[in-house]
Amino acid sequence: MDPFSAEGELLNLHNYFHQGQFQEVVDFDAVGLSKENALPARVFALRAQIALGQAKDVIADVQGEQEPELVAVGALAELAAGNESKAGKIAEKLAKESGDNSTVQVLAGTVLQAAGNNEEALKLLGNHQGNLEAVALMVQIHLQQNRTDLAVKEVQAARRWAQDSLLVNIAESWVGLRVGGEKYQQAFYVFEELAQAPATSSIQSVIAQAVAEIHLGRLEEAEAALQQAVAKDPIQADLLANSIVLNAIAGKDTKELKSSLSSIAPEHHFLADLHEKSSLFDKAATKYSSKVAA
Amino acid sequence: MASSSPNMLTKFESKSSRAKGIAFHPKRPWILVSLHSSTIQLWDYRMGTLIDRFEEHDGPVRGIDFHKTQPLFVSGGDDYKIKVWSYQTRRCLFTLNGHLDYVRTVFFHHELPWIISSSDDQTIRIWNWQNRSLICTMTGHNHYTMCAQFHPKDDLVVSASLDQSVRVWDISGLRKKHSAPTSMTFEDQMSRANQNQADMFGNTDAVVKFVLEGHDRGVNWVAFHPTLPLIVSAGDDRLVKLWRMSETKAWEVDTCRGHFQNASGCLFHPHQDLILSVGEDKTIRVWDLNKRTSVQSFKRENDRFWVIAAHPEINLFAAGHDNGVMVFKLERERPASAFYQNNLFFITKDKHVRSYDFQKNVESPTLLTLKKLGSPWVPPRSLSYNPAERAILVTSPADGGSYELIHLPREGSGSADGSDTKRGQGNSAVFVARNRFAVFNASNQQIDIKDLSNSTTKTIKPPPGTTDIYFGGTGNLLLITPSAVHLYDIQQKKSVAELAVGGVKYIVWSNDGMYAALLRKHNVTIVTKALEQVSTLHETIRIKSATWDDAGVLLYSTLNHIKYTLLNGDNGIVRTLDQTVYLVRVKARTVYCLDRNAKPKILNIDPTEYRFKMALVKRNYEEMLQIIKNSSLVGQSIISYLQKKGYPEIALQFVQDPQTRFELAIECGNLDVAVEMAKQLDRPKLWSRLTTEALAHGNHQIVEMTYQKLRQFDKLSFLYLATGDAAKLTRMAKIAEHRGDFTARFQNALYLGDVNDRIQMFKEIDLYPLAYMTAKSHGLTEECESILEATGLTEDQITLPAVGSPLTPPKPVVSTFKANWPTKATSQSFFEKALLGQVEGLSLEDEPVPTSHSFGFDDAGEEDGTKRNGALAEVDDDEDAAGWDMGDDIVPEVESDFVNVDSAEAGGAGSSEADLWARNSPLAADHVAGGSFETAMQLLNRQLGAVNFDPLKPRFMEIYEASKTYLPASPGLPPIINYVRRTVDETDPRKVLPIIPRDIESLATNDLQRGYEAMRGNKLEDCALIFKGILHALLVNAVSTASEVEEAKKLVTSACEYSIATAIELSRRKLGSNDEVAQSPEKLKRSLELSAYFTIPKLEVAHRQLALLSAMRLSYTNKNLNSALSFANRMLANGGAAKMLDNARKTKAQCERNPNDALEIEFDQFAEFDICAASHTPIYSGSPFEVCAFDGSKYHSKFKGTVCAVCKVCEIGKNGSGLKLVA
Repeated sequence: MDPFSAEGELLNLHNYFHQGQFQEVVDFDAVGLSKENALPARVFALRAQIALGQAKDVIADVQGEQEPELVAVGALAELAAGNESKAGKIAEKLAKESGDNSTVQVLAGTVLQAAGNNEEALKLLGNHQGNLEAVALMVQIHLQQNRTDLAVKEVQAARRWAQDSLLVNIAESWVGLRVGGEKYQQAFYVFEELAQAPATSSIQSVIAQAVAEIHLGRLEEAEAALQQAVAKDPIQADLLANSIVLNAIAGKDTKELKSSLSSIAPEHHFLADLHEKSSLFDKAATKYSSKVAA
Repeated sequence: MASSSPNMLTKFESKSSRAKGIAFHPKRPWILVSLHSSTIQLWDYRMGTLIDRFEEHDGPVRGIDFHKTQPLFVSGGDDYKIKVWSYQTRRCLFTLNGHLDYVRTVFFHHELPWIISSSDDQTIRIWNWQNRSLICTMTGHNHYTMCAQFHPKDDLVVSASLDQSVRVWDISGLRKKHSAPTSMTFEDQMSRANQNQADMFGNTDAVVKFVLEGHDRGVNWVAFHPTLPLIVSAGDDRLVKLWRMSETKAWEVDTCRGHFQNASGCLFHPHQDLILSVGEDKTIRVWDLNKRTSVQSFKRENDRFWVIAAHPEINLFAAGHDNGVMVFKLERERPASAFYQNNLFFITKDKHVRSYDFQKNVESPTLLTLKKLGSPWVPPRSLSYNPAERAILVTSPADGGSYELIHLPREGSGSADGSDTKRGQGNSAVFVARNRFAVFNASNQQIDIKDLSNSTTKTIKPPPGTTDIYFGGTGNLLLITPSAVHLYDIQQKKSVAELAVGGVKYIVWSNDGMYAALLRKHNVTIVTKALEQVSTLHETIRIKSATWDDAGVLLYSTLNHIKYTLLNGDNGIVRTLDQTVYLVRVKARTVYCLDRNAKPKILNIDPTEYRFKMALVKRNYEEMLQIIKNSSLVGQSIISYLQKKGYPEIALQFVQDPQTRFELAIECGNLDVAVEMAKQLDRPKLWSRLTTEALAHGNHQIVEMTYQKLRQFDKLSFLYLATGDAAKLTRMAKIAEHRGDFTARFQNALYLGDVNDRIQMFKEIDLYPLAYMTAKSHGLTEECESILEATGLTEDQITLPAVGSPLTPPKPVVSTFKANWPTKATSQSFFEKALLGQVEGLSLEDEPVPTSHSFGFDDAGEEDGTKRNGALAEVDDDEDAAGWDMGDDIVPEVESDFVNVDSAEAGGAGSSEADLWARNSPLAADHVAGGSFETAMQLLNRQLGAVNFDPLKPRFMEIYEASKTYLPASPGLPPIINYVRRTVDETDPRKVLPIIPRDIESLATNDLQRGYEAMRGNKLEDCALIFKGILHALLVNAVSTASEVEEAKKLVTSACEYSIATAIELSRRKLGSNDEVAQSPEKLKRSLELSAYFTIPKLEVAHRQLALLSAMRLSYTNKNLNSALSFANRMLANGGAAKMLDNARKTKAQCERNPNDALEIEFDQFAEFDICAASHTPIYSGSPFEVCAFDGSKYHSKFKGTVCAVCKVCEIGKNGSGLKLVA
């Protein structure tokens, strides 16, 4: 039986993780689990630790472990700790050796994708046998490559066998936010449902709700959602990035937010992008000048 | 009890011997039951209590009836007697004798003082109960007459007999005879005199009109239809027969077959097309009047039914059986409803879905009919509304429970019958998210979560015994079991909280979704959204419904009251109800509800009491004060309420009675008030209580006073010692001496360390040894000797114990007595202060308007400019709080409504949406949003001749920043980037376009106004910046319609004019201070010119007036009277604020005397000219000039090729294709 299926004992763990409730995953009491689920539970806990920024601890934890799952966790931790090349090497090796292991697929796939190795990642993930996490990851990669059509297909395929599973809903919402139109509203429902129920709410889902609302053009509601997220964690990089976007759309000043974003996550995509565009502007602007200097 | 119908709702049951007769009171919740055991019972079926018993009959009592209006009832029994009773005096008033056998039924006439009775003596008799006489005996039946009733309107009687016939009698003759005649003929008198006697010769008082034959056995009961010419009868042939009659004949219509034992009673439903019958087969059956088919049946295990009765007004029935009576309804009367924001959706009696607008107080026409839902006689049970989809979910208990999901028609009126209906089986169905609903099936104990296409996405096994489900907040359900309520998380598929409350029937959520009220039959429990119990309350009367007001007060209705409860459980009555209603919404003083006929009703309430209590709980003193000031709430009850609830300090404010005031003051520690009251009352008990309280406060001054009052010298002395007040201690010693109280004196001496006094005292009381010892231990040798001398002893003769060191009283460290300790400030709450009028913040008036205006040209004037400007401000609208306000603003109202922008080109998959934007649009703004800055610049260069892009950088970055969102996705990977569109509804990648912040609407409503404000406020630097910002924002922007393009162009022109104007005025100010300028004729000339040019740009009239005023004053003070005159004239032509015009008029008058300019300036008031935006000199019409392709500012041709001074972006004279804002 699939341990993540509705009846499986890892369902909650799985859901916590994908709802962004990482602390709950770490705190999850794995004692009562059956033997075959102990390892997946541990992997989840370690991944949650990584997501909580404790990559160093995880590296130390899985040091010397032989199970491919844990090695893959190690690779992910190395990636999070900033050792991209090392992570990439481990991941490539794993992909070759145990490419049929679902955990390896997801984790090594993540590492490969993060290292910019899209094709390798997709190839590895394509091996999956009914693994929703792999599907979600593939959807994300497709979206990153702007292949919305492929992402849509992936989700529809998964929807057929995984029905109303959380991850499918979430992945569908990711795609929905890209497709737009009515899909915005549907994505919003999913995120709102997650974000507003106390049991499932996490900063991640609240931000997602806010993002959906930005896309729907409901700026006030988006602002309220972001405020809610601020209450959970005021210095989350994505939260700040989206706050900047929201303020920019509303025509408000974003300087302060930008400086706080650059202080906590100087390498955030938003800043990097902005920086690049800024220099692009300067370069492009030099091509023009007035005939007569004033 | 087995029931094949889910709808028959038993409201009351009694246990007794066989019930043979039943009567409802028309108004009160009472029912009379006559029993086989000779007793008549009077029950309150609402409370379930036996009110009275009447036991005068001998043997079974079969007939019983209430009088419609008078406090009377009539009974008839097997003792052949008819008794008329008063239930007020609780006794039998009189007995009507005459029948010769059992009396079967008795009924009052609906208007005449008549009683009709039927008896086993085969007669029907009509009695006048006012003069207690028999007025008519109707013979004809040739077996027992089992039932006889008056027609509810006409002069007809219907009777049933064991002779198998039903007879209809015409009694109009009887009425004629007994209607009060104005004049009485002899015959009348004769007939009246003889009326008691049965008329043997062709009695015309009552004649048989029809004999209805059809029953094969005896007929037990017969009844008229309340409005139609129909009769229903029930007989021992187990049939219920329906008869119709016309003026001339009557005939059998149909037969209802179903009873398998004698049918003992039957009647028509008072309001619906139904027949009800009961029988000895232990069933109650309901028949459709029109189809004569069985609608429902209800069976009791052991009890045969003997009689049935209907309440005349409300939907209640009663049936008597072998072991008592049951009162029941056929169906729930609660109209299914749901509200969302300002709309109530409800289902009417005839199954139409309607909505009701709370704001407009109008009911919509039928939105939808639900005829197909359930069976015709079963009303829908619940309604759940989904605002996102404008869909409703209706459940019906018919067919074991079913639901329908229907989309309401978009345009209010079209009363569709729900063609796109989705149906299914289930007992309850509620929306749980905007695209999901839950269906609960009681029989297999399963909850299905379904999407809007009605396919199951998830299945849940609820806790065992679940009876109902309710919405539980997003993603949650509240499951009701007989003993508890569970908060169930749909995602996690588990119960996250449980509260042991049994028998919950309804759940009502507060408007903010933070609290829910669980309604039980007699209890209300308030819980948080996490299902933690907040409070609970008990009601003796049934609770029917509840709704939350916006402030978080729960209003609930019982059968006869609307009550409120606060979150803390504090409750009370809001108003009484004369009929049961179902509350749906409260807004301020209005309660919206549905009555039992599903008609929206509005009730007015006085929310003062609960608002006051609410304010109290929230310590919102301002509101309390407001309430107290504006309503007559204050009374003894509110004081005791306040005290009880722990707000003595507030209660204190209301009390006059000194005793109560004292108590309250002590309670809240307000010593000042306590002292004041104690002084008034002056009772030792109060003083001692005050002492205790004051001691606890450390307020020794009050303690001292109370000790003095109480004359507690010892305590007083000790207090002085403790506070170190030696002077008073000395006085206490004196007093003690004076009083001759040696103990006190000794104590005081000890406290004071006064050895001599102690010795003296010992001597006085002949305690020489002690005196000696004291002296000795303090080393007072002389004193010792004198004592020895006095006692005639020598030192050798006495043996002394070891002498210790003398005791010295401690020195006070702090002179406490000088002042009280810093005692706790009496709790003078905000509220008290407010009451005492000390709080100014309460006043609603605004701060005085600051009047600081300065404008450089004032100082030379005779009047003080500040004052004058201030005065102008007063004259003008209040919004112009600062600066130059001189009249109303004429601001272009810009309306913007985004319509999809068309585009022509095609895009392809695989490229990011940002790239698509650039492809889809020829607008620079869209290219900027897509990050394609080069092409954007190209476009701007081509369109407007933009060359200097640096000033546009902030605008570029602003647009770019707004273009993408960052959606956190898989942990470990960067967020998914999505692109924000202004074409929200568009999914075609060839048509999507990016959002552009600060659209024309926001520019016109925000930036432009700020610019005007800066202008008014004389903050010209800001003003210049703002208008430059507007220009840049418009330079790179997108609008959706041609009319908006016009708006945008107007805005560009306006911003340009303001930019030029501010630049002129700023450059004038840069010339130097007024003194400096005055010294240099050159500068003065330039200054005068610039001030004149300042009046040229096309500003808003109000602002132009400012420029004119400024120019006029400057010219005037510098003796350029001609110019001043022209400015004054222009001002007068413009009109505006009276003060300013006055000023202009005066100046004009002055100038007209000598219209000459002292200084020649380059300003021809009569010539047409523009101002060069770069040099600020005139460009007279006809002379060559160059323009900026974007903002249209004009320049002398020598500036061609330079960057525009206004927008700072475009090259002057470089003509492009023009500003493009719409794709």
